[in-house]
Amino acid sequence: MEPGRRTGWLGAGPENPTGGRVPPFRTRIIVAETKTKKTPRPAPAPQTQRAEVWRVVVLNDPVNRMSYVVMVLRRVFGFAEERARKHMLAIHETGRSVLWSGTREQAEAYVFALQQWHLTAVVQPEHAA
Amino acid sequence: MKRVEIKLNISAVAPLLDVIKQAADDLRGSLAIRATFPENDEEFNETWTSELLAGQNSDVRELLGLFGSEFFAEGSIAIDSPNSDSLLRGCSALRIQILTHWLQGIPADLLEDEDVPPEAIADELRVPFAAYTFLDQVQKIILEHLDPTAAEA
Repeated sequence: MEPGRRTGWLGAGPENPTGGRVPPFRTRIIVAETKTKKTPRPAPAPQTQRAEVWRVVVLNDPVNRMSYVVMVLRRVFGFAEERARKHMLAIHETGRSVLWSGTREQAEAYVFALQQWHLTAVVQPEHAA
Repeated sequence: MKRVEIKLNISAVAPLLDVIKQAADDLRGSLAIRATFPENDEEFNETWTSELLAGQNSDVRELLGLFGSEFFAEGSIAIDSPNSDSLLRGCSALRIQILTHWLQGIPADLLEDEDVPPEAIADELRVPFAAYTFLDQVQKIILEHLDPTAAEA
């Protein structure tokens, strides 16, 4: 990937609470076609489709100590101690916990930050959970 | 700025460094935990991986830097707030690699036990196991004394 496409590599700030690198979000370029050839017009798409919600899921791992996981969750998500501990226990006891849900790009940023701290984290569309 | 100095027994720690350095070499070209990608796009995933790898290598280098000539002269390592994040992540990456390379056969309850009797571990795994628990203790000290969550306040 050429450097020019690495847009969205943020420093510390509300979008990147860890202050570290964030994933290689890409600028999505839409090229408008100017061809005039007539093609059958498709039926208009229904307007009920909403923006999809994505989840950040952290999975259990056998290595990282509990206090480390709590610290990482506090750093990455800005959670209070109690909330981070609750998620850590859910991860430990059930094997996974949904930490956050929202836009895909922000979910990707969180997963990247968690992987920087060597936690096993995945992004999932909410309907797949 | 907080600073913690840890006095170590050089003769006890030196053999562990061989394992730690081997784990660090193993990690130079691969991630401790295989990355999962949000997109099915080879180019995107390659960039994602290379950025994680660059960070991991930097963290591991920071950790190995603690055990330079000063450590062998003084027998102590110094950890302060600015390098504590790197050291925490470096310890984590190396522990995962040590587990993957040497300790897969050890039951999880032993791996989590801080007071495992040496006879519970096979002879040939004692040094890797000691390196694994040593890095865990370094992490523990950082977490207890440097309060890395304070950075968010």
